[in-house]
Amino acid sequence: MIDRAFDLLLIGGMLGLAVQVVASRALFRSVVLFIALGLLMAVVWARLAAPDLALAEAAIGAGLTGALLLAAYRALQPAGEAGDAEPAALPRRWALVAAVLSGALVAAIGWAVLGLEPPAASAGREALARLGESGVKSPITAVLLSFRAVDTLAEVVVLFAAFLGARVVAEPLGRAGPGPRPDPAGGEPVLMPLLLRVTVPMGVLVAGYLLWSGGHQPGGAFQAGAVLAALGVLLRLTGRLQPVAETSPAERLALVGGIVLFSAIGLAGAGMASAVLAYPEGWAYTLILLIETGLTLAIALPLTLLFSGSAGLRWRGR
Amino acid sequence: MTQAGLYTLAASALAGIGVYGLIVRRHLLRRILALNLLGNAVFLLLVALARRHPGYVDPVPHAMVLTGIVVAVSATALALVLARRYYAETGLRHLPEDEG
Repeated sequence: MIDRAFDLLLIGGMLGLAVQVVASRALFRSVVLFIALGLLMAVVWARLAAPDLALAEAAIGAGLTGALLLAAYRALQPAGEAGDAEPAALPRRWALVAAVLSGALVAAIGWAVLGLEPPAASAGREALARLGESGVKSPITAVLLSFRAVDTLAEVVVLFAAFLGARVVAEPLGRAGPGPRPDPAGGEPVLMPLLLRVTVPMGVLVAGYLLWSGGHQPGGAFQAGAVLAALGVLLRLTGRLQPVAETSPAERLALVGGIVLFSAIGLAGAGMASAVLAYPEGWAYTLILLIETGLTLAIALPLTLLFSGSAGLRWRGR
Repeated sequence: MTQAGLYTLAASALAGIGVYGLIVRRHLLRRILALNLLGNAVFLLLVALARRHPGYVDPVPHAMVLTGIVVAVSATALALVLARRYYAETGLRHLPEDEG
């Protein structure tokens, strides 16, 4: 009973926020409510027995996407203009047509999904039954890095491609990313160094723990990478990491290392194990942990650089 | 109605809101927001459907959504950079096709 009430409350909150994101007059309000919606989604994932997703959504969906959106909001604000004079919305009667069509879409999807019967045999049941063969104990990690490793490999390639694409159309260093760079040497809040001294080591620790725990419980490269990227955003915003126009060799290695390592181990599987992207008997856990370490960096660095809007970052300290 | 059924309906409503926003709103940032709402609806649908099996939770849609979340943030980041560059070049925050 109370469970059902909580579900309804969550769904009501989620849909209410979504309506506000679309309908709100002020763009800034829409952006902030979208971030709030991301946090609510994390709770929804937890309710739907998907703790891996809850972790990833809290860090990526709400955190990083929010930071990117806020930076872009500021960049799209014309100089000297206070409010946001937006391009006019669609005329009312066309908006009404769009609303009716969207309503029909809702009804169609709802009708289709409610009629679906759970299939007797699913890939998930197979994956759970063969969990022992994967070398890890967490079913999500087993699917991501063993049964469907090809998806994960393609996903880091997509992230890398997005980073390259962003470099192609990048704005000059002074205007890209979150805007003016603060200088940590002059005038920052007194508590900032203290805050960073606590959060940065803790963040690294949490990322390491998430990476390691991916083998047997919720966690893994995605969540660890997201936490590291969030730290990168924090350090970039406080001026500890300064954007530079050159990608250092170490950064290049981190950007492509995960992809190269994953591909190399995957190809080696064709000779040493049964197939491409299969692991040799007894080595699965070690190799998965090695690949996940590479992937953590291959996820964290491009995300940080996408936020920073620069080709590289350089440590500045205080 | 089961919990899975409830959330699938919520996902369809979220998709409708996203599509409506995508059509009606013209500001590029709002379009990107609406597209993300639509993405969240797809993720929610997959995860809710993973919950309907009696006795177990399907890990395959979870893994797909986890991949999808990272792909969504990559696509959003690229879209935002494109929108910013477009604004820097033209001073417009909507596409000329939407002039009307």
